Amino acid sequence: MTLAIFLFISIILVGIQTAIPFLVKRTIVFGITVPEKHIQDEKLLSYKKNYTLLVSLLSIIVLAGYVFWALVSNPGEEQTVLIGTFIQFGIILFSLSLYFYFHGKTLQLKKNQNWMENLKQVKVSDLSVRSQDEMLPWYLFLLPMIMTIGVIGYTIFQYDLLPEQIPTHWGINGEADAFTEKTPLSAILMPLTLLAMQIMYLGINIGKNKSGIKLSATGTNASRIRQLTLRKYSSWLMFGVSLLLTILFSFFQLTAIHPDLFAGTAMMTTPIIFLVIILAATIAFAVKVGRSDKHPVGEVDEEITDYDDDLHWKGGLFYFNRNDPSIFVEKRFGVGWTINFGNPIGYLIVIVPLVVVLVLSFL
Amino acid sequence: MIIRIEPDSDIPIYEQLSNQIVEGIARGWIHPGDSLPSVRAFASDLGVNMHTVNKSYHQLEKKGIITIVPKSGAIISSPQDFNESSLARLKEEYKPLVAESLVAGMPHEQILDLVSSIIKDFKKI
Repeated sequence: MTLAIFLFISIILVGIQTAIPFLVKRTIVFGITVPEKHIQDEKLLSYKKNYTLLVSLLSIIVLAGYVFWALVSNPGEEQTVLIGTFIQFGIILFSLSLYFYFHGKTLQLKKNQNWMENLKQVKVSDLSVRSQDEMLPWYLFLLPMIMTIGVIGYTIFQYDLLPEQIPTHWGINGEADAFTEKTPLSAILMPLTLLAMQIMYLGINIGKNKSGIKLSATGTNASRIRQLTLRKYSSWLMFGVSLLLTILFSFFQLTAIHPDLFAGTAMMTTPIIFLVIILAATIAFAVKVGRSDKHPVGEVDEEITDYDDDLHWKGGLFYFNRNDPSIFVEKRFGVGWTINFGNPIGYLIVIVPLVVVLVLSFL
Repeated sequence: MIIRIEPDSDIPIYEQLSNQIVEGIARGWIHPGDSLPSVRAFASDLGVNMHTVNKSYHQLEKKGIITIVPKSGAIISSPQDFNESSLARLKEEYKPLVAESLVAGMPHEQILDLVSSIIKDFKKI
């Protein structure tokens, strides 16, 4: 079971890692801004292919070795988890170092071939794009929070029913395997942690809404579709995850209060169903956004290109721009968002709730 | 309406913004009563400093072209909102340009032709 779950997650991880070069914004190659007319450059295409090939090849070998090892030597559950986690980190680390290698190569190619020369660098925006934005409104994110507050209230109400030992951790089979002394705080610790996460999701949604809808000068329509798709579906995904987490946590909390409420099989299958739904939704999101701007565009007319803001992208991964009031911006390598490290509000939204969650978990 | 700025140009960004908004109104791409995005939204869409957009909006407001609505954005004024003093200011601003054209040796006729050809272009007559 453990092996199957780890294998399943790893395969999805590898799938996304290998597909990244083909899912990123069309004019960004390995974190480097490339003018529209050079994105089909043979060398660039070969970089992308090599990256995908190398990551998938190594991953297949390592994962095959993992399965072979697990089946032959029949290790304990803990060992399987440890090695499985190690392998996942290894794959991420390997693809990251490959990324940096090709990032350097692309940067060099761009410099050597003088792609930006004689091109007027411009920034564009559409005055009406905001009215086409379909992000979920912030108040919808209050819904799961109300549910959580309800669960907290119910727990306080049913405090006497709770056992003297409160479960804090569940094994892969759905059985609680770690407990803590019952106190008023430990009784509501889990929903409280959930509430902190929900506040973070709310903050992120508001932050994304206030962040820029960045359009490309040479592919205005394609980039508009991509940005709107990203905004819409990432708010849907976040709302869905928030809702599912609330259901899962409430489910655990209710089983702690009423142990006989759900049968053992429900305890075991619920987290797995949860995991499958979230992974499937994430893949659907990545593919939907990744493919949104890949239809050919015939819009390049003049000698213009997007403003080269590689300067603000440290290593092509970290955005640092004090002038840009955006809190979040679209990732350059991957599908999704990243913080504008030049804007302190971003740190606040992401770091404060994380610290709260960490503090709560150490209480 | 698409706004396109050149960060490396000699013309300051706030002026590029003002010019394009005014031109957009002249061309009928945006209309009196339409609203412009909030300073924050506009600045983050373009990835420029909020002061830049603010400066442009204030410049346009001073000229009477927009009315700034706190927190939500700005509304484009209608021609009735302009008065004698705005016309007087415009006259003052025409002067140096006309003077320069005369100095550069443009005959009277040519200046008139130039102005009417620009108007034709804006109005698409």
